[in-house]
Order: sequence, then C-alpha cells, then structure tokens
Amino acid sequence: MNLAVTLLVMLSIASVIGTVLQQNQTYQDYIIKFGPFWSQVFNSLGLFHVYGSAWFVIVLLFLLLSTSVCVTRNGPGFLKDMKQFSENLSLNAIKHQPNQQTITSNLDIEAHKQNSIALLKHHGYKTKLRQYEDGSLTVAAMKGSWNRLGYFFTHISIIIICVGALLDSNLLLKYRELTGHLKPETRSVSLDQVPPESWLGSDNLSFRGTVNIPEGQKSDVLFLPYENGYLVQKLPFTIENKNFRIEYYDTGMPKSFESDLVLTAPDLDKPIEKTISVNHPLYYKNYAIYQSSFGDGGTKLNLKVYPLLSPIVNPLTLDSAVNKTEPLKTPVGKFRVELNDFKMHNIVPASEEEHKATGRKMHNNGPTIIFKVRNEQGKAWEYENYMIPSKQDDRWFFMTGMRTSNAEPFRYLFIPADADRKKDRFFKFLALLNNPLESAKIFAEKFPKTDQMSEKTYQLQLKLLQQLLTLFRQKGFNGISDFVEKNVPEADRKKVSDYYFGQTSFALQTLYLTVLEQEGRIKSDNEDIPPFDKTWFEDALNVVSNLSQYGPPMYFSIESFKEIQATGVQITKSPGKDVVYFGSALLIIGVFFLFYVRQRRVWIHLRKTDKDATELTIASKDNRNLPETKQEMQGLLEQIKHFDNKK
Amino acid sequence: MQTNTYMDDLQEEKKSFSLRDIAWAIFVILGSFYAWIQYGQLMDTFEIGILIGSAIGLIWLGRFWPSLQSLTLWVTGLTLLALWTYQNHGNVITANEQAFFLKFLVSSQSAFMWMSALFVLATLTYFFALYNKSEFTGKTATTFVWAGVMFGLVGMMVRWRESYIINFDYGHIPVSSLYEVFVLFIVLTGLIYLFYEQKYKTRALGGFVMLVISAAVAFLLWYTFDRGAHVIQPLVPALKSYWMKIHVPANFIGYGAFSIAAMIGVAYLLTDKMLKRNPDSAFASKMPSLETMDDLMYKTISLGFAFFTIATVLGAMWAAEAWGGYWSWDPKETWALIVWLNYAAWLHIRMSKGWRGTPMAWWAFIGLLITTFAFLGVNMFLSGLHSYGEL
Ligand code: HEM
Repeated sequence: MNLAVTLLVMLSIASVIGTVLQQNQTYQDYIIKFGPFWSQVFNSLGLFHVYGSAWFVIVLLFLLLSTSVCVTRNGPGFLKDMKQFSENLSLNAIKHQPNQQTITSNLDIEAHKQNSIALLKHHGYKTKLRQYEDGSLTVAAMKGSWNRLGYFFTHISIIIICVGALLDSNLLLKYRELTGHLKPETRSVSLDQVPPESWLGSDNLSFRGTVNIPEGQKSDVLFLPYENGYLVQKLPFTIENKNFRIEYYDTGMPKSFESDLVLTAPDLDKPIEKTISVNHPLYYKNYAIYQSSFGDGGTKLNLKVYPLLSPIVNPLTLDSAVNKTEPLKTPVGKFRVELNDFKMHNIVPASEEEHKATGRKMHNNGPTIIFKVRNEQGKAWEYENYMIPSKQDDRWFFMTGMRTSNAEPFRYLFIPADADRKKDRFFKFLALLNNPLESAKIFAEKFPKTDQMSEKTYQLQLKLLQQLLTLFRQKGFNGISDFVEKNVPEADRKKVSDYYFGQTSFALQTLYLTVLEQEGRIKSDNEDIPPFDKTWFEDALNVVSNLSQYGPPMYFSIESFKEIQATGVQITKSPGKDVVYFGSALLIIGVFFLFYVRQRRVWIHLRKTDKDATELTIASKDNRNLPETKQEMQGLLEQIKHFDNKK
Repeated sequence: MQTNTYMDDLQEEKKSFSLRDIAWAIFVILGSFYAWIQYGQLMDTFEIGILIGSAIGLIWLGRFWPSLQSLTLWVTGLTLLALWTYQNHGNVITANEQAFFLKFLVSSQSAFMWMSALFVLATLTYFFALYNKSEFTGKTATTFVWAGVMFGLVGMMVRWRESYIINFDYGHIPVSSLYEVFVLFIVLTGLIYLFYEQKYKTRALGGFVMLVISAAVAFLLWYTFDRGAHVIQPLVPALKSYWMKIHVPANFIGYGAFSIAAMIGVAYLLTDKMLKRNPDSAFASKMPSLETMDDLMYKTISLGFAFFTIATVLGAMWAAEAWGGYWSWDPKETWALIVWLNYAAWLHIRMSKGWRGTPMAWWAFIGLLITTFAFLGVNMFLSGLHSYGEL
C-alpha cells in the first residue's frame, strides 16, 4: 500500500520532468540550452526521452507488479467479505460496532423478527437469520456488496492498462538496440542510403510513425522517431496520395484538410479508396492511417537568380523544386541553395484602410519561398522571399527577409516595385551602380570639363565620384561616414563629410536620371521628377544601402511555380489499444462501484428480557465509515419504534 | 397480518413518478426535439446520440435534484428570447449592439458580465452572512449563485449561436478556448457547490468556495479586457469533433469538484485552528462540524475523481482519433495524469491508512495547485498538441 502511493508519486514526478524538459529535441538543441556537461548528464539519465527511458518503464513494471500482488493478497478476503453476512457476531461484538443502540419493547420477538426482515428488505438489504438456543436471534443484513467488486475492477483495470501500454511500448526495440541489432539513423539521407540496421520489418509488433507523401506519389515506408534519430518501418501495403485538399478560414488558419488515399496490398483484390481527414482516419486490418499534417511535396519552382554585384542585368534561370539542393558557382564563391519550403498563402491582419475599403479582416501577401544559401565553409543564410509585391504606405514592395539563425526573426528589405509593379527598374539601376565604366561614361557625358577647371582637377573629381559610388555600393551610407571617420582629421570631418554625402547623392541622382530618361519617364535632366519616381529613388537607395548585410550577393526571384502539396500521414499499429480501452472501461465502472455503491451492514439482535419484554439491539457499519451511516441507522430505529407504537 | 399492512404504509413512502416529474420529462423531450428540428442537419450520428444522452441525463438529473428544473426553465426562457431577438432584429451581425435586450442582458458578453458580477456579489454576501449570522443574508447569497449560474449558462447557449452568426464556418459549442472553458469552469463549480450546499446544509462554506470562482472571474475579466480573448475564433481542425462535447465538460466537472474540495479544505484548516485556540470560537460555531467538512472533501474528491477518470479516458479515445495515438505524453495529457495520480494517492491514504482531517485538508488544497497548473499553467508555460488558448 505504501509502495502503491510511492509508485504513484514517482510516476508523477517522472511525468513532471517530461513536461518541463522538452522531450525528443535534437541533441544539438539541448547543448545550446544546457551546455555540454549537463546535456551529457541529462542524456545519460534518459531525461530527454523520459517516457521511453528504461527507468520509467521499470517504474511502470513495478506498478503492475505491486498492483497484481495487492489484488492477489486482498482479493480472497474481499471476496469472502462480499458474501459474508457476519450473522454469527455475538451480542457483545454487535455492541462494539461504530453505530449501535439498544431499546426495549413490549412486542414479542417473533413480531420484531418479521418486521425487521421486512423493513430491511424494503430498504434493499439482503438478510440472514441466526437463531440461538435460548430463543434470541440476530437478523444480519447487507447491501451494496458490489462496492468490493469496484476494488477488483479498478485494480485489475490498472494491470490491464499497464499490459496494454507495454504492448504498445518500444520495449522490443530497446531490446534489439541493446543487443546491437538496431541502430537509429540520425542523418537525413535518401532511403537507399539508410543502412539495414535502421530498417524494421513486419515483425515489429507496434509502431507509430509518419510519412509525407506528395500528391500523385506513393509510399510503403514510415519514419519512426527514435531517440536522437529515426527508424524506417517497411509497410505491408502501399499508400498513394491521389489528391490533397486544404480549406482555409478567412483568418488564414487551416479549416480542414483531407487526402484521397488509395491503399494497395498484395492480398487485396481491389485497392481501398478512402478520403481521410483530421478526426476521420482509415482503418485497415490492425493499422490505422491518420491525416496528421501537411506540407510542401516538392513544388516546382522557376527561379531567377539576380547577381547583386554584376555590372549588367544577367539573371540566371534556375528550374528546381522544394526540398532540392542546387549548387551555384559564382564569381564570389561556390554556394549551395537549399530550397526548403514554399507557402502558397501568407495571411496577415489587414491594415485599417484596407479593412475599411474592402471589409476584409485579413490580407493575403501571396506565395513565398523559404531557402538557405550555404557557403563552402558551411555558413548559411536563410531567406524568405515573396513573389508578389505588397502594399505599404501606398507603395508596392517586394519583401525579402534574411536571417542567420533560427532563433532570430527575419529582417526584411523592401525592394520598391516600378510603375509596372515589377523589379526591372531596381535591377537596372543596381547594375548601373555596379558598372564603373558605364557610370564614368555617363558622368563624362553629362558634365564635360569646363574651361575654368584644370584637366587634373576634373579627372580627380570624376575619380572621387567613382570611389564614392563604390564605397556606397559596398557599405552603404554608413560606409561613407566610416571612411571619413578613419581618414579625415577631426577638424575637417564635418566639412568633408557634408561634401562627400553631397557628391554621393549627386552621383546617384545622375545615374538615376539616366535610368528615368531611358525609360522615357522624363525627357531631360531639368524636368521635374514625378513624385512616384522620387519616392521610388529613396526606397531604392534604402535597399542598396543595406545590401551589404544581405549575405551572399544574390537575389532569388520566383518567376513561376507549380504547387505540389504533400499530405502528412501518421500510421499506427497498436495491438495494445483495445486492451487499454477494455481496461479503461473496467476502470470507470469500478470507480463508480467504489464511490457510489456503499457496502452497508445492519445487525438487529433480539432477545427476551426478564420482564417478558424484548430487548432490541441494532448496529450498523459502512466500510467507508461515512456520517450518513449513523443517520440511516437512526432512521431504521425510528421505523422500528413507529411499528412498536402502532401495535 | 399487521406487519403486511404496515409494510403497505411504507410502500407508499417510496417515490413514484409524480405529475411534476412527468411534466418535466415531457418538457425535456419536447425541448430536445425542437433542438433537433432546428439544428439537426448540422449534427452527425454521434451528436444526435449526445443530444439523446443529454436529454435522458437531464430528465434524470432534474428528478434527482428538482432545483435543476427551475434553473433549466429560466435558462431556456432567456436563451429563446435572445435567439428570437437575434432572429428578428433585421441586421443579425450588429443586433448585439443595437437591440436593448441583447445589449444589456443576454448577448453572450452581457450575460457573462452579469454572471461575473453576481459571483463576486455572492462571495461578499456569503461572508457577510457569516459575519451577521443572518439566515436571510445567506439565502440571498445562494440566490446570487443561482442567478450567476443561470447567466453563465444563458451566455454559453447564446455564444454557441453567435459563433454561427459571426461566420457560419466558425460555429462551435463554446468549450473550445481557454476563455470559454473558464466560463464553463465557473458555471460547473457554482452548480456542483449548490448541490452540496442544498444537500448538506453547508451555507457557511459558500464564501470559501466562491473565492475560487471569484478568482476565475477576475482572470476572465482580465482575459477579456486586456487580451480580447472573448472574440470568437474558428476551430482548428483537430477540435472539430463530437468528442469535444463530452470530453471537455467531463473534465470540468472534475476540476470544479476538486476546487470545491480544496476550498472546503481551507475552511477546515481555519476552523480547526480557531477551535484549537478557543474551543468556543464564534467562527467555528458557525461553520459545519469538522467531521462534515472532512466527509464533504471526500465526497467532492470522489465525484471529481470519477469524472476526471471518464474525461481522461475519453480524451485518450479522442486523441487516438485525432492525433493517431491514445497517449502521446503531450504536456496537457501528462498533467491530467499527474492530477489523477495525486487524487488516487489521496484516496488511498484515506482508505487504507485511515488518515483524516488536517493533513488531508492540506493535501486537498495542494491538489488545487496541481490542478490549476494542469488547467492553466500548462497553457502558459508548456507547449504541445493541446494548444488551444495560449496565454
Ligand atoms: C495506479 C494504481 C492504483 C490506482 C489508480 C488505485 C485506485 C484506487 C482507488 C480509486 C481506490 C478507491 C478509494 C476509495 O474507495 O475511496 C482504491 C482503493 C484501494 N486500493 Fe488502490 N489503486 C492503485 C493501486 C493499488 C495498489 C498497488 C494497492 C495495494 C498494494 C492498492 C490497494 C488498495 C486498497 C487496499 C484499497 C481500499 C479498498 C477498499 O477498502 O475499498 N491499490 N484504489
């Protein structure tokens, strides 16, 4: 009994640990959180996988054992107690019951006997009579013996539930791992590279794993998370994802998702076709196939990669797909592009104006891709690029976010869209900034040497413009201030800095005007620039000024895509499930018997006194010792007295 | 024989179906039938089963506890009035701000405000009754609780309908978000308390129990005004299931009963302390006997334990259908198990070791802390599959 409570407490504490320490993360994450030393300690204690750890299973086994022992030990006594009326209790023993009282009556024993039996029966008791030689007798009564059944039901149900849970646990896998027949895979590699020790066949009794199946594809394997890696489970059937559908609420939250599945197995004449959705799984033999998640199934992407340092607009076309990795050779080094995800919708709360104008609460920012660019040293930059421009303060921008660690939020650049809502002008302008030859030509053309200026000063002036442009391209406006800080004596800084900034703006404007002239937006430099182009220029400079912090100098633009979704299916084989359910049903019934069926006993002892009267002793007992018991006995006594008076 | 005639007398004492019981049954059946006609096309087979089950349950409960009959009549009347007003107010979306009756009484928000006010008032009144020893004040406090429960129930019924009005896609029974279950908690705790108060004549405990409810009310108000949590949100796909309709209420009968047990524990400890200091303590003389409180703790914990067992099993069955496994060691699940193990241990110690009184009262109180963590703390501090209503 003490053991039972101790085990209950131990289980609770273990469970608390499991909820406070996030379970089944990658070991890397734990090292970041706890440092190498504690991670090592926690890991060896099994605290990162509490519910699968050996000691937890041992506590469960102990609980099973102790409950079994408890039932076998208490069982016989309780069984006997269920049937016994204890009619042989002596008067003395009756008088020692928790509730008892004695009265005398003028009626004879026979009348009281009949009345008592009838009365107790009326109150639902079963009675048994014990007559003594001297004429005295005891009416022993009992009701609610099912209360004891409650003890059996609850405790046996705990045993049954534990057995069911153990059937579904990974005990067998643990054993195979210990004996060296099994080793989880920790790399993310293609199936044919997973070694045989990480595969499981049909001999695996129970499992629960997931697999993502892109639309139009099939799978006959499942991935089971196991310790710090995973195992591959071969299935005796094949699941094909014919079609996946998802519906959204107007908040952008998924409303429902479902997959049309086709299940084929060698022993099936006809494949099973069924649509599964959340809360509506497909059951096949002892397997259950659930809709659990969704994701990208390798959306086909047509991308353009704009080199951000190139002196001409020469984007590279890249045909790829989500989940693919593409090598990129560039003048600034070799990179690998990992295309991680594609999202069709990005729904955000609508701005107040939009809400007023359209009545819509939410706004869809359109498709995005999420990808990483990794250099040869392994350093990675992660990006989130939007395909279509979104509106901010009445201007349209292409957003692109970058971060270098999962822990940070994305920081965004807002590339201004041109009048056609495209990125063309931006890249044309950028290329011009990157092109010293072209810009030199423009400067020379626009500002021919005047007579007052010596050739040398003129050349110096042109060179200064070039240098400032380069500096700006490399480090933005900050680059120019840094340069001044470093190279100019304190006294002259303000003057020089003002001059340099003026000259930089002048150079940038000059180049921008050329772009505008080429586009035909203005005819000559002297014309006023339309307001749109003015703000565009500021927005563009803002982006260029920050490009130095954008990682490798490339911009990935989504030209077109073909979305392919994948359904996330969870498949379980759980032989213990029905066992657990049976145990649970037993538990519930048992708990109700225990709490709401009271086992009550009443004894009424009758004997003749010297004065020819009858002495009646009544006692009652409830194995739960509740206050009601006493009142109920008083009630019985009242009725007996009433009977006595009536006669 | 005389004995037989005497037994015939007794026979008549036995309850038979009275006219009132029959009228009650007919009322419930007609009401359920009306619900089926109105909303039957939205129900699947299981939900029709739940409707029939609720009707049978309500008939039984009403017979078992007649006060429930009047409560049901009030709730039905006000709810119908609210639905009727929504229906006939032209613009159904803005009706709750325009129609006087909805705006000030029974739109779900107004009803919840009334509920909150009434429970706070009830708390104060119960304590005042303890202080001035007035039977009448005590009765008033009890009436406040009944009214609070009524407004809470009306609010829930109306909110159910409102969720369909706002956006048909959002429609769901209001037991799905942390906000909604707080209302459920308040209503159920109030109702369970009323039952024990009536049955065991323990009005002196009212103030103590109402303290938990007032705390819940305070949270609810903060959650409404600071976090805007009262806004009706659509359901995530995993919650779209008939299981929600039975799993959640069963859970909250458990939480409610455990909270009551804890507060009786507090009352027990206080009384015990007063008695130790002064056997004729005026405070203690107004409280129920220690034995009664100890017994009530046992009764409420048993009730809570029984329903918590059912809720956990139902939850496991739902999880098997929604997440693909009956047990995933998700933090909410795990904490439910911890709560359950805790009370199993409490019951064991009481049964087998015969512990009573002070230690059990302390334990019942600590049980409330564990329960609160399972109910609220998990949402605040831990993340998992049960991610409804994060704070
Ligand atoms: C997880 C394991 C267990 C659970 C959930 C459990 C549950 C319960 C419950 C709910 C009661 C009823 C208390 C009451 O009537 O108020 C009870 C009673 C009892 N349990 Fe357990 N139990 C467990 C394990 C054990 C073990 C291992 C033992 C023995 C060593 C044991 C011995 C008893 C005894 C003797 C009673 C009293 C029965 C009576 O007199 O009515 N239990 N148990």
